[in-house]
Amino acid sequence: MLKNSLRYRMPSLSAHAVLILFVLIAIVPVYLMFVTSLKSQAELIANVFALPEEPRWSNYPLVFVDRGYYRAVLNSLLVAGSTTVLTTILAISAAFAFTVHDFRGKQPIFLLVLVGLMVSEVSILIPVYNLLKNWGLLNSYVGIILPQIALGLSFGIFLMTTFFREIPKELIDAARLDGCNDFQLLIKVMIPLSLPGISALAVIEFLWAWNSFFLPLVIATKQHLMPLSVSVIDFMGRFTFNYELVATTCVIMFVPILILYLVTQRSFRRGVTMGAIK
Amino acid sequence: MSGPRTFSPYLFLAPALVYLGIWIFYPIVQNVVLSTLQPVSGRESELLFVGLANYQRLLSDTLFFRALAHNLIWVALSIVLPVVIGLILAVLLVNRRMRLFYAMLFFLPATVAPIMAAIVWGWIYNPTFGALNQVLDLIGLSGLARPWLGDTASALVAVNMIGSWGYYGFCTLIFLAGLQGIDPEIYDAARIDGAGPFQQFWKITIPLLRPTLIFVLVYTVIGSMKFFDIIYVATKGGPNNSTQIVAVYMFDLFIRQGQVHYAAAMSTVLTLIILAISVLLLRGAAIRR
Repeated sequence: MLKNSLRYRMPSLSAHAVLILFVLIAIVPVYLMFVTSLKSQAELIANVFALPEEPRWSNYPLVFVDRGYYRAVLNSLLVAGSTTVLTTILAISAAFAFTVHDFRGKQPIFLLVLVGLMVSEVSILIPVYNLLKNWGLLNSYVGIILPQIALGLSFGIFLMTTFFREIPKELIDAARLDGCNDFQLLIKVMIPLSLPGISALAVIEFLWAWNSFFLPLVIATKQHLMPLSVSVIDFMGRFTFNYELVATTCVIMFVPILILYLVTQRSFRRGVTMGAIK
Repeated sequence: MSGPRTFSPYLFLAPALVYLGIWIFYPIVQNVVLSTLQPVSGRESELLFVGLANYQRLLSDTLFFRALAHNLIWVALSIVLPVVIGLILAVLLVNRRMRLFYAMLFFLPATVAPIMAAIVWGWIYNPTFGALNQVLDLIGLSGLARPWLGDTASALVAVNMIGSWGYYGFCTLIFLAGLQGIDPEIYDAARIDGAGPFQQFWKITIPLLRPTLIFVLVYTVIGSMKFFDIIYVATKGGPNNSTQIVAVYMFDLFIRQGQVHYAAAMSTVLTLIILAISVLLLRGAAIRR
């Protein structure tokens, strides 16, 4: 009896140990980031893990107001917000065509969209830079937002198509019989029925746009236009050894995403896994 | 199904397609065009068609091949570490009541921007106050302590750990979704036939998880070929090019050295490599299915 229960409990115990270990690995660096932002240099060198004796909350107004970080936060909100809205609208519209219509060239066009999934910033950097330069859009919000949308669009179309395909055909046919035209079908039937999918797409696109770095690094070289990602690196370049201030900028960039993540968990999970298992 | 208004689907598609055309497909073609040109020496504004000369130069550029090798090592490390760890964690989680809570915590690093992960791990690896060396000291392994990112022997693996940290939770989540799609009765039947946990894993889990595995594999390869942020922030390709990757090298050629056309050739080759590997993997998956 004892032998038996041990035999079953041992693997379960070691499984728990493994799970806890990887929870710690996930959390500790995030904890270090928070705690570093509240410490003095001396405290940091003495013990990186310890909580500060007296948390220096003053780092936050210092970075946020005095160093003008509120500006970067607003830039990021504007850039990530517009990118999310526009990508979602474009993706919904295209996915609608792929789901409810049969038309010439459907398969090849869908394949072309999927090729877009494999294209990254690195592949398009130089021509996109030239385009923006020719159109006078370097160092402008529009110039940061436009290519950003393209990077998430293929994924958006793909994800929305999988969500739209879950809507029962009978419902679409019934709406048609009721005399819905395409536009009404989309607005009154498809969109309301796939709101969870749309919010899944929106949170993922927002996360990507918020965290994106490569293109904004090249396009936004003027400080007043930099989104947080570029701004944090710019700040680090100027104050490398002020670890607590750099940590503060990181926390400021991370907190909005952390809140979004905790509030919209299900959407995140759905957005990440949906494309993979279909 | 489409009814009489056959132009309608194109109307709904047009905005997205025009968009992808301008910002994805035109740039890819334009990249190829740029890569066949070279400015005339002395008159920088005048461009000359040079055919494949930039690609020829690429073939004799040892740093390019070194960078490409680092990308491939990154692929291998990402499969060995985060993908395998993600699979193990998903298997451990699948029948647990707290699985979504664990998955939420594992995925947390994936929400941290790569640039932030690089900054924070830069501190963890720091030789003077780094957490890693302090932990090693604590458990009596201070002999192993080193400037992790500053040592050519450890830098590439150390920066990969940063990427892996942000990736294993993603893999766990995907595998977990895949595992939940497997009918538990199959396992019951196998258990009755006397199959142990390892047999069940190799004979049931892996074959039935195939589509998910292929997805993660393709995603990992694409991600490992194109990533940029972590290296750019943590090491800029150093020390002594021991962490140089194609994207960072290309960026440096374009932005710092102004070698636009050579950089375009490099970027084109990278795009082709990503497309080729993805198509091969997906083809292989389709044939064997």
